[in-house]
Amino acid sequence: MTAGPDLRTAGRRQTAALSVFLLVQTLGTVFFVGDVIGDLRKDPASMHFAFEAIVTAALVLGILFGSFALRRTIELLRAQDQALAVARGALSDVIERQFQSWAFTPAERDVGLLALKGLDVAEIAELRGAAQGTVRAQLTRIYSKAGVSGRAQFAAFFVEDLLGQGVTAS
Amino acid sequence: MAALRTLTAEAPAAPPALWDPVVRLTHWGIALSVLINALVNKGGSLLHVSLGWLVMALLILRLVWGALGPSEARFSAFPPNPVAAVRHLGQLVSGRVREYPSHNPAGALMAYVFWATLAVVTATGLILTGGATPMQVAAEKAAVASGDWSALIKESEGESSDEDTALRHTAEEVHDVAANLLLFLAALHVAGVVVESRAMRRNLVAPMVLGQRRK
Repeated sequence: MTAGPDLRTAGRRQTAALSVFLLVQTLGTVFFVGDVIGDLRKDPASMHFAFEAIVTAALVLGILFGSFALRRTIELLRAQDQALAVARGALSDVIERQFQSWAFTPAERDVGLLALKGLDVAEIAELRGAAQGTVRAQLTRIYSKAGVSGRAQFAAFFVEDLLGQGVTAS
Repeated sequence: MAALRTLTAEAPAAPPALWDPVVRLTHWGIALSVLINALVNKGGSLLHVSLGWLVMALLILRLVWGALGPSEARFSAFPPNPVAAVRHLGQLVSGRVREYPSHNPAGALMAYVFWATLAVVTATGLILTGGATPMQVAAEKAAVASGDWSALIKESEGESSDEDTALRHTAEEVHDVAANLLLFLAALHVAGVVVESRAMRRNLVAPMVLGQRRK
């Protein structure tokens, strides 16, 4: 779960920086075009005009391409975010179904999920407002229902699923 | 378990949880510049002209973004539709509100009126300053300050001065009226956000600032 927010803030920072840059670019272009128009009115036969027209075109194209690139970046970030959410949702669906097939009680489902998230007995007990002995007993029942030797194998069960070598529940 | 579920269940037609940075930047940039120019500094000053040019750049950027930006920032996501706007206000009064993927129809109409008014204000501002960029204004001010009054003569020397002053006078009137209209629209906009937030039971300001803080 820790990678998600980090990725998101990094993406946000990047798009924010690009936006500020785009604004500065637009500001520069507006000033430049204003200056060019001013020059033209003062001295319509200016020899600079051709050069300035090229620079103006380049600046305008820069804004358009910059906008387009920024939009692509934003859409890419969103797609990644969504893919991550879908993957998480898919995993949680897999876990849910597996828990059902093992006939976990609601309490066992909660404890099992917390155990999968890496919380130890003391933390789970505190979160659930239960005695540590209760949680330990629940975990023992969970492991026996799942037919695994302990927490490591319990977690490995779902990791194995993710790795694409489907484990069929008995 | 709920924590794992929330990420997948995204309402299909809700406005974004966080507007993209260009929308936010242009929104607050324009809001701040308009407020400063309308309430604090006086017309014709270097700061006033500079902020005017800044608003022009922000407006242009937002309009470009309306054509090239992500879907919810594009004009096609919130076409100007007065009929739909009135219908939306009716729904708001009766308490049944719908979700829209971008601005709601009333808010969309507000945005277009804002942009049109901003365009009028900047255009008349340009007429008033004779299209002088902030650099030229600064140079003129510096010249006058150093005792070279010739910079001031340029404006009054033209032959069609009668027509010119009439145009400037009209521009000034329009500039003032449109600027006041902007302030009125801003107040209306804030009121709309408050009412809409109440009706939808949702914070509509957060997406325009930093988005919802997730724990």
